[in-house]
Amino acid sequence: MSVFAAAAIRRNPAWAQLLGLCPLLAVSNTVANAAGLAAASAVVLVGAAGLVAAIRGFIPKDVRLPCFMLVIATFTTLVNLAMEAYAFALHQRIALFVQIIVTNCMILGHVERVASKERVGRALLDAVGTAAGFAAAILALGAIRQFVALGFPLAAMPAGAFVIAGLLLALTRLRTAR
Amino acid sequence: MTGLRGIAVLIALAAGSGCALAWFAARTEKIARANRQAAETRILRELAGAEVDVRATGDILVCEPDLIVAQGRGRGYGGELRLAVAFDHEGAVRAVRVIEHRETPGFGDILKPGAPWIESFGRRRDVHAVTGATVTSTAVMAAVARVAQRGGECLP
Repeated sequence: MSVFAAAAIRRNPAWAQLLGLCPLLAVSNTVANAAGLAAASAVVLVGAAGLVAAIRGFIPKDVRLPCFMLVIATFTTLVNLAMEAYAFALHQRIALFVQIIVTNCMILGHVERVASKERVGRALLDAVGTAAGFAAAILALGAIRQFVALGFPLAAMPAGAFVIAGLLLALTRLRTAR
Repeated sequence: MTGLRGIAVLIALAAGSGCALAWFAARTEKIARANRQAAETRILRELAGAEVDVRATGDILVCEPDLIVAQGRGRGYGGELRLAVAFDHEGAVRAVRVIEHRETPGFGDILKPGAPWIESFGRRRDVHAVTGATVTSTAVMAAVARVAQRGGECLP
């Protein structure tokens, strides 16, 4: 449990490590979009972490990054194909951001730092924690933006994303600073 | 030696990845194509009315004096785009719907249903190009003019 909590809260990808902010800002305009991207990122993150942890003994150190990218790209493409077939309406709204999950530093960072060094079980647990932390961050931002946009349309626009994400970040820093 | 091993591992991974993707793409392709087609049918029905069989007809879906609906292609910044235009026998455009495009994300936003620019075709005769999206908007304007001219010839 502590592995999960540490990954989700203390090392929260968005608020503690400031990773994965591009999709966080771009797709958090509504809760539905945020949930879709959180789910897609979670599948890629957990799948890539599990597979890399399972084959980590075979990967020579000097080609590890291309190997990681291949695995991440494969999972991203699988998720994109699945979404186009089984969640078409969502796919039409957020497909671009599903495709660029492949460049999300949160995922490559996790694979490099955790999955390539740990046993499968622990890597999976850490990946699930990281995915949950990212999901919590993007859902919170999505919910706040959708709610604030009811009275203040700027919140649904890109500028509103920066302002609200900045305020949330300041809030989390305030808590840890004490 | 490690160099050779690295190459072997990369090749094996790429082969595995390719197989997995080919298998999954073959599984989902039919459903995805049906989804795309359903979306296209919905757009065309919205313009032409529900009773028209949009798949059986060609480029001209409806040809009546007060409503002509035709579809056509244009060349945008990112490649070919397809659109449908509803207009009357005098050439007054009522609505333009882009069915498929490959414009740069963000720049394509002016083409979404409900976007002020694409909706302006139905409201005014002098639609202007969009600053910052010149290629995309002029491509759509040219395609609309072409489709409307060709579609208008369906009347005797």
